[in-house]
Amino acid sequence: MRQEDRGEQEGSGPALTRRAFIKSAGVAGAMFFMAGALPSLVKPALAAVKEENINEVLRRQFGSRKVSMSHVSINAPIIAENGAVVPLTITSDLPMNANDYVKKINVYADGNPEPYIAGISLTPANGKAMFALRIKMRKTSNVRAILETSTGKLYGAIRPVKVTIGGCGG
Amino acid sequence: MVVGRIKIRVPGTIKKGEVIPVMALVTHPMETGLRKTKDGKVIPAYFINDVDVFYGNERVTHCDWTYAISANPFISFYLKADKAAPLKIVYKDNKGGVYQESVQISPR
Repeated sequence: MRQEDRGEQEGSGPALTRRAFIKSAGVAGAMFFMAGALPSLVKPALAAVKEENINEVLRRQFGSRKVSMSHVSINAPIIAENGAVVPLTITSDLPMNANDYVKKINVYADGNPEPYIAGISLTPANGKAMFALRIKMRKTSNVRAILETSTGKLYGAIRPVKVTIGGCGG
Repeated sequence: MVVGRIKIRVPGTIKKGEVIPVMALVTHPMETGLRKTKDGKVIPAYFINDVDVFYGNERVTHCDWTYAISANPFISFYLKADKAAPLKIVYKDNKGGVYQESVQISPR
């Protein structure tokens, strides 16, 4: 019994320090999180920006039209170290002939003050439905592309991108 | 920094009817209008909001941009090279600046 007791006591030594370590790590983690969260909370307050919600933007642009989440792919980094330069490549295997082609590529970043970033109009003369550009992202969020074909159909894709340093300024 | 210096890159040899990649770069600060200087003054928005790509007389691609495009915008897209004609890219910014550059596409 005694030996067992001693064993437990001995065991409690490292357990305590481990617990203390986890605790302190948790605190440090929380502080790190706060440091990360604060700028994004303060920024909109400093610069009087018109904040828009992605759902409102999509409703305004497309109403209740159905977007099929296929035929489109977004190539983007999983983690973008610098939010000021996030390279995107939007490709689609949809046809590009005179009767049926991708008319427009709309690009969005959900977390930006104005989620709508760019609208690119293509024609059959492009041959392939692809567009590459570099965008600014304020914070970690989804990037969306919604393609409209000349026949009026909508195709889309969503891709999450982690941002370590925001790129909208302010 | 010189604003509006454009570089366009297309493949060296082009076959007729081939779909070629086109890359273009323009120098521009692309200020959002949200950034502030150290003494709290807002840096006014200054960005390219309109890009037109012409192949001969035909407008093949058009971009509507907001300030959320990175500084020194880079774009890349495809073009079906089915005729000998200049490829012209025209950038317009919100302060009325117009910058353009063209390259000759001569498929063989």
